[in-house]
Amino acid sequence: MPREIITLQVGQCGNQIGMEFWKQLCLEHGISKEGILEDFATQGGDRKDVFFYQADDQHYIPRALLIDLEPRVINGIQNSEYRNLYNHENIFVSDHGGGAGNNWASGYHQGKGVEEDIMDMIDREADGSDSLEGFVLCHSIAGGTGSGMGSYLLETLNDRYSKKLVQTYSVFPNQMETSDVVVQPYNSLLTLKRLTLNADCVVVLDNTALNRIAVERLHLSNPTFVQTNSLVSTVMSASTTTLRYPGYMNNDLVGLLASLIPTPRCHFLMTGYTPLTVERQQANVIRKTTVLDVMRRLLQTKNIMVSSYARTKEASQAKYISILNIIQGEVDPTQVHESLQRIRERKLVNFIEWGPASIQVALSRKSPYVQTAHRVSGLMLASHTSIRHLFSKCLSQYEKLRKKQAFLDNYRKFPMFADNDLSEFDESRDIIESLVDEYKACESPDYIKWGMEDPDHSLTGEGNGSGTLDPKLAV
Amino acid sequence: MEEEDQRKVTDLVIELVRRLLSQQNSQNPNLNSPHFSQSLRYALRILSSRLTPSISPDADAIAESIKRRLATQGNSSDALTFADLYTKFASKNGPGSVNNKWAVLYLLKIVSEDRKTAKNSMDSSFSLPNLGLNDDEMGNNLRVLNGKDNREKGWKNGVLLVSKDPENLREISFREFRNLVKEENEVSEEVLVRDVLYACQGIDGKYVKFDSTLDGYALSDLVKVPRATRIIVRKLCELGWLFRKVKGYISESMDRFPAEDVGTVGQAFCAALQDELSEYYKLLAVLEAQSMNPVPLVSETASSGNYLSLRRLSVWFAEPMVKMRLMAVLVDKCKVLRGGAMAGAIHLHAQHGDPLVHDFMRRLLRRVCSPLFEMVRSWVLEGELEDIYAEFFIVGQPVKAESLWREGYRLHAGMLPSFISQSLAQRILRTGKSINFLRVCCDDRGWADATTEAAAAAGTTTRRGGLGYGETDALESLVMEAAKRIDKHLLDVIYKRYKFKEHCLAIKRYLLLGQGDFVQYLMDIVGPELSEPANTISSFKLAGLLESAIRSSNAQYDDPDILDRLRVRMMPHNTGDRGWDVFSLEYDARVPLDTVFTESVMTRYLRIFNFLWKLRRVEHALIGAWKTMKPNCITSHAFTKLQRAVKLQLLSTLRRCQVLWDEMNHFVTNLQYYIMFEVLEVSWSNFSNEMEVAKDLDDLLAAHEKYLHSIVEKSLLGERSQTLYKSLFVLFDLILQFRSHADRLYEGIHELQSRTVESSSNSRDKSKSSRQRKDKSSEPGSWISEGRKALTQRASEFLQNMGQDLDALATEYTSLLEGFLAQLPVQQHIDLKFLLFRLDFTEFYSRQHPTV
Repeated sequence: MPREIITLQVGQCGNQIGMEFWKQLCLEHGISKEGILEDFATQGGDRKDVFFYQADDQHYIPRALLIDLEPRVINGIQNSEYRNLYNHENIFVSDHGGGAGNNWASGYHQGKGVEEDIMDMIDREADGSDSLEGFVLCHSIAGGTGSGMGSYLLETLNDRYSKKLVQTYSVFPNQMETSDVVVQPYNSLLTLKRLTLNADCVVVLDNTALNRIAVERLHLSNPTFVQTNSLVSTVMSASTTTLRYPGYMNNDLVGLLASLIPTPRCHFLMTGYTPLTVERQQANVIRKTTVLDVMRRLLQTKNIMVSSYARTKEASQAKYISILNIIQGEVDPTQVHESLQRIRERKLVNFIEWGPASIQVALSRKSPYVQTAHRVSGLMLASHTSIRHLFSKCLSQYEKLRKKQAFLDNYRKFPMFADNDLSEFDESRDIIESLVDEYKACESPDYIKWGMEDPDHSLTGEGNGSGTLDPKLAV
Repeated sequence: MEEEDQRKVTDLVIELVRRLLSQQNSQNPNLNSPHFSQSLRYALRILSSRLTPSISPDADAIAESIKRRLATQGNSSDALTFADLYTKFASKNGPGSVNNKWAVLYLLKIVSEDRKTAKNSMDSSFSLPNLGLNDDEMGNNLRVLNGKDNREKGWKNGVLLVSKDPENLREISFREFRNLVKEENEVSEEVLVRDVLYACQGIDGKYVKFDSTLDGYALSDLVKVPRATRIIVRKLCELGWLFRKVKGYISESMDRFPAEDVGTVGQAFCAALQDELSEYYKLLAVLEAQSMNPVPLVSETASSGNYLSLRRLSVWFAEPMVKMRLMAVLVDKCKVLRGGAMAGAIHLHAQHGDPLVHDFMRRLLRRVCSPLFEMVRSWVLEGELEDIYAEFFIVGQPVKAESLWREGYRLHAGMLPSFISQSLAQRILRTGKSINFLRVCCDDRGWADATTEAAAAAGTTTRRGGLGYGETDALESLVMEAAKRIDKHLLDVIYKRYKFKEHCLAIKRYLLLGQGDFVQYLMDIVGPELSEPANTISSFKLAGLLESAIRSSNAQYDDPDILDRLRVRMMPHNTGDRGWDVFSLEYDARVPLDTVFTESVMTRYLRIFNFLWKLRRVEHALIGAWKTMKPNCITSHAFTKLQRAVKLQLLSTLRRCQVLWDEMNHFVTNLQYYIMFEVLEVSWSNFSNEMEVAKDLDDLLAAHEKYLHSIVEKSLLGERSQTLYKSLFVLFDLILQFRSHADRLYEGIHELQSRTVESSSNSRDKSKSSRQRKDKSSEPGSWISEGRKALTQRASEFLQNMGQDLDALATEYTSLLEGFLAQLPVQQHIDLKFLLFRLDFTEFYSRQHPTV
């Protein structure tokens, strides 16, 4: 009765990071590219059945659905060495193969169209598990398929599997370079609404930050997608280690997430990982890695995989709602306490003031099959209020575009926006704005009373009277 | 006749001189050479000289001095032999016997002394025929001479001639004195001496009898003797009294023997005493022979030779008296003692400055200790407790295999002789115990090799009687070698064959909930079962559930032997108990590991399990609560159509619920982290280190005890943490209450939601999509209807009630938690600052209440 997790990788980006993720898992569990357990993989203690199941011929098959509206990436996977790893019944490529044209509405609409096919696949996977824990969605929020179809899937899953967890690994677009997808702000906004309402946990993977880390920390002059994706897969696999290597605590996803997300709405997590290496680039300076070292590095902004757009003053106001450090490797448990003490002494973290909080530390084993140069490595999952600046940035970009009424025609072609009904945009905007407000409220000690003393304030938005939809109050 | 004798002598002297010279010169010396005649003259001059030795010519005195010399140089038996021979020699009278006995003795003595000096200076006699050599030859001649001479010539000894003069005045006065003495003494000294000798053998004499009122032998008062004699008799008879005591002890012990409480050590002691007594008997025999000679009065000295007087007897008795006194003391001390205690008591007396006593005691102790050492040997090498008479300082008792190690054998302090130190005794105990443990509990035979090796290394053979008193070093080294090997072998067996570490780890994983996935499944599947009343639960069913929890978690890959030992255990329950109160897991350690995991140890594990299980249950409840209010749950529901006041109420209630949840979760999670890092893992890592360096099973037991103790204490399960523990459980119960409140709240909200949907279903056709904000049904005007009003009313009431409940819960929780936190820093016996540190990491509590 493992707590199974089904992975849905949607769109070009989703499938790319998904593929990297499975590669990493195969390596860590000693599973070959064909899905066969390697001869050396005899040291038990790992739990493969959370993410894999065994076919009749003992092949390990990922509990993964590969979904895309255009065939390029999936074809790539099917022609790669890993082609035999996946269950071919779990691959969905739209018949026409035309993709979503970077249009959220198109993706969403097409998603609706193929709902039945995809839900069939999901149901089949769900039926194949003993006690399904939840779903993990990999996608980007900027394109068409990952964002649009991903949004649709989120709504459907929420409806159909309301008791199950839905976690997403959402790639946020690089804001530093001009994107070829001009409607990116629209897509992002619309997806963010679903991430806010229909997901239990969103791990934010900010391409801007990933690029920055690749350049600054890994000294790559021009990081490729493969390289940034390997960062993503490192984070993804690290964040699931406690599920795959059971220990005293944090053995299921819900336990992991519950402590990280005390306020339901603020369920966007930042990640940090240290020490970082990229495949074929192990020649990094080998640093001394102690628990304190790792934990301290994890708190440094430069290692966080989300850009902080906050101004200095705001940044100093920002607070951690929760932190979970997953430390892998040979660790003397007494070091954990010492490190925590040091961190508190030096006041390296700012926590919320409206409730008790602390840095949680989970110790996890390292895969015996993957050799790393470092004794200890660490992943941080944290809920931090500064993430609101990322959303603000999305909002402001949207506003800029919306003001110009640019590119809206592409959306009006689809039923949701037919008849020039752009209320979906406005609603999304309100929800994101209230999300930003809630994060901001978390920075103050009076969060508990937030939104209550001054009802008028909370009823900004469209200003229609009572009984109307107020996103902030839509709990 | 005399002329003839004289000439014979002259001839003999000439012959002697010739021989001596020929010996020196190797060629036949010319009888007429001047050298020869000179030597002859010299010899004759010596022979005819009237030179006498400077000592008085008393044959007995000479004999006495020889005897003393023999006694001091050799042993007393030589002296005794001499005394014997001398008696015979002296008693030879009449034809063919030697007349001048004193001279002969003196000569022999001089010769023997001379021999000794000659030995030291090898060639002193080479250049010149010295006086000694001449004396020697002359002595022989004399003997021959005297043998042939019946009549004492007297020309050699002037003194003798004088003393034999009957006309001498001194002789006359002596005779008078003798008469006087005879008058004064009713009993002659010979008789008294003989009586004393009897008394010294524990027999009543004619005059000297055992007087029980005096508790000693004494001359009967009726006998008229001088006071001095009386006293000397009394003094001499002390020996008899002592003898009686020793003899009495021996015979008493021997009589009792097979029955009981003498023991092998006692037997050895008796035998040693017996040996000493036979020495004593020998002496007495000689003395008795001598006592037959009449005691001469002063005047008669020379003729009577070897006789015994009371004074002489006191000289003879000096040494036996010391020994006998010692023996008597020992007998007194040992009367009530046995075995090791006896050896110890004797050992105490061996620490004596007098070398005579010291040697005597050593001899005795060697004998006495030999059975004891034999026991030690067979105990440390074979694990055999050959101790029928309970004399050994290790006592065994029949026990069950599981308590063999702890209770099977123990040191009997009373039987531990003081020459074996406490630590050595412990080692001895442990070594033999280890062998027995290996044999009985581990069913192992490999120890035999280890002991053979040990014996070889220690240089002693494994045969009996290899060790004795005074070889404490050898004993120690044997014990050390054996202990080292046996302990190592035992640990090897425990670690390798019985997989001690693996079992400890298994206990940590299952009973201490280290195997998280397993615990989770178990919690999931037995949870519903355990909510039932305890008496309705079938442990058979729970066992099945345990089995399936094992099968579906990673525990399935564990060693089947380990999984086999994991069982469900239902504790005795009272009425009203739920399954939660009685459920627990147990681990069947089995022989021989049940020596470590005894029943009381397992009881403590059980307590830890119950605590951790409860903690898990609380955590499980909190996570369950989180699931009902997880991010995507309510957000998708359309609560948008409620009145603003109600909506605010809802919002506020939910937020309070969330914040309270957060606080509780923080507490439980950090308590768990504390338990995991500061308690379980740290204790375990200490335990692992100690396991590495453990040298014997006792070390291992101590390490495990420490491990368990530290977990119990730090988990607040100790005696002194009861208040803390109680308040912790109240907190837990409060959290479980919270869970049901939260469930009710969310249930109510769901109901509310479905009602809302129902009530608005009439306008559903208009609201194509709930997301369409500008839907007409959301206009305030359309909501004024009876059903909706009632609904709003009810919702408001419900939320108000829930809010109040939650507030009450929150208040109680806060005050309880404060109390708990305030207690943490004042705990004296355990360091809970780690826990406080975690709980108050952001100083949330200490900010609120600076006292915390």
